[in-house]
Amino acid sequence: MIFSLETWHITFFSLAVGLASTLIILPFGIVLAWLFARKEWPLKSVVETFVLLPLVMPPVSTGLILLKIFGRRSPIGQWLYERGIEIVFNWKGVLIAMAAMSFPLLVRSVRTSFSEVNPRLEQIAATLGASALKIFFVITIPLAYRGIIAGALLAFSRALGEFGATILLAGNIPGKTQTLSLAIYNFVQTGKDPDAYILLGITVALAFIFVWCSEWLLRARKRA
Amino acid sequence: MLLQCRIPLADFELELDASFQARVTSLFGPSGAGKTTILDAIAGLRGIAAGEIEINGKTLVSTKRGINLSPQARGVGYVPQEGALFPHLSVKKNILFGAGRGLHAKKTKAFTTDHVIGVLEIGNLLERPVTKLSGGEAQRVALARAILSHPRLLLLDEPLAALDIGLKERILPYLGRVRDEFSIPIIYVTHNMSEVLSLADWVLMIRRGRLIAQGVPRDILASARAISTMEDDTIENVFNVAVVESDHDGGRSKIRTEAGLELFVPYLEKSGGRFQVGISADDILVGTQRPEGISAANVFPGKIRKVESIKDQVVLTVDAGDSFYVRLTPSAVARLGLREETAVFLIIKTRSFRML
Repeated sequence: MIFSLETWHITFFSLAVGLASTLIILPFGIVLAWLFARKEWPLKSVVETFVLLPLVMPPVSTGLILLKIFGRRSPIGQWLYERGIEIVFNWKGVLIAMAAMSFPLLVRSVRTSFSEVNPRLEQIAATLGASALKIFFVITIPLAYRGIIAGALLAFSRALGEFGATILLAGNIPGKTQTLSLAIYNFVQTGKDPDAYILLGITVALAFIFVWCSEWLLRARKRA
Repeated sequence: MLLQCRIPLADFELELDASFQARVTSLFGPSGAGKTTILDAIAGLRGIAAGEIEINGKTLVSTKRGINLSPQARGVGYVPQEGALFPHLSVKKNILFGAGRGLHAKKTKAFTTDHVIGVLEIGNLLERPVTKLSGGEAQRVALARAILSHPRLLLLDEPLAALDIGLKERILPYLGRVRDEFSIPIIYVTHNMSEVLSLADWVLMIRRGRLIAQGVPRDILASARAISTMEDDTIENVFNVAVVESDHDGGRSKIRTEAGLELFVPYLEKSGGRFQVGISADDILVGTQRPEGISAANVFPGKIRKVESIKDQVVLTVDAGDSFYVRLTPSAVARLGLREETAVFLIIKTRSFRML
């Protein structure tokens, strides 16, 4: 089967923005997950709940909130616009919608893998003179890396599947903000079912690869 | 060393006030007495409500003076019960993890990495992943890691507890070598009396967060309070001995204790070397006359110095060329009419001795 240029473009665009979104949220997700797993601080449970909200809220609601935050009429949107950055209805909107929707999945997965690291190992490392930073990078991260990669894969898959928040914040503009999910919807709506099936095949293949990798990593962690 | 602290715990408050100077100090008491909590407080892994901890003139924490060094700055080598080796690093990377620090290197007797590896005999393990180590090997690696961080103090939390008896007897000599080779003071947590007797020169007896006695091991452990504190309920006689002669075909060796008493123990290959033997207080027979026609090779006269009754048992301290603890039933003591100054014979089977 030979894919059309449009199909290639949609697939590449989705993968690229999804990857960028995952890479951007990864450091924040890791730090926040560590704070959740290892530290006690005021209002921790409230912050935790807020971070997890997009997981259970209708994506369209999250999209509406993002639109209100980044729209040109909001203070933040205004501030960004004055500096030549526009979020709404272009690829940056796609990126932010994907990031917001996949962030909770990443944090949850990484938090679990941090909690599974024996805190005694970190304590002993401290008695051996290792700084907090060295402990984090030499002990905690290497011992939790499988969960971190699995979480990132999960976040990436979630980003690729994003629909509700994206369509509100970035719209469904072919060649500009159209992702795999949005394109499938569009093709079905306009009666181009064969085109939709091709994209469907691509999404199934990608999802299979990601879930399989993620599960393999988690199983490997249990074995270790 | 000054150990003064108050730490509220879930079901009791730990309160300690002890000052001591020893090579190996044993924190001795049943599990749940708060021993590991004390080590964590010394290492800086948990806070204290009030008090002061000082090691060789260096204050680690003092609530009065507002000092509270971080675990990194304390220079305390900690070997926790489970060893806590870093599972993703090789043996070599584990033992060198804290080696860069050298905090205290100038003040301790200089020793090199190779020296430590040699003393603990882990040279052939260096490239192995730590997940492939046996229990005894893992403990030696954990010890090496702590020593190589050049600490001003070593904390050992029941390093032998997880090992089976055979392995224990093989690891114990390593601990003795650590004590003798590297002049690092050691605080050693255990609930096992023979470990205390063979390693420690000072004992702090802890029960439910309180210091109930402290002193030289042999004195402390013989007291009634010691016995009621113990978990495994054993009383062990431990002697530093030298081999006098070995009889391979006869399957026995003659040894001499520091007090000059000669005893027969199971055959030992080593001759000349100094080591330790143990005999349980339950494995010694007492007679009021010298027995005839029995198999036991160790029969020697003595005099009862002390008779202590604890619950349903009586512990005798017998001076028989060396000092022995013997535990009997009250019925046996009554039947033989044993009291202080009674002249008795102690009878010990050769094979009842254990090599430590």
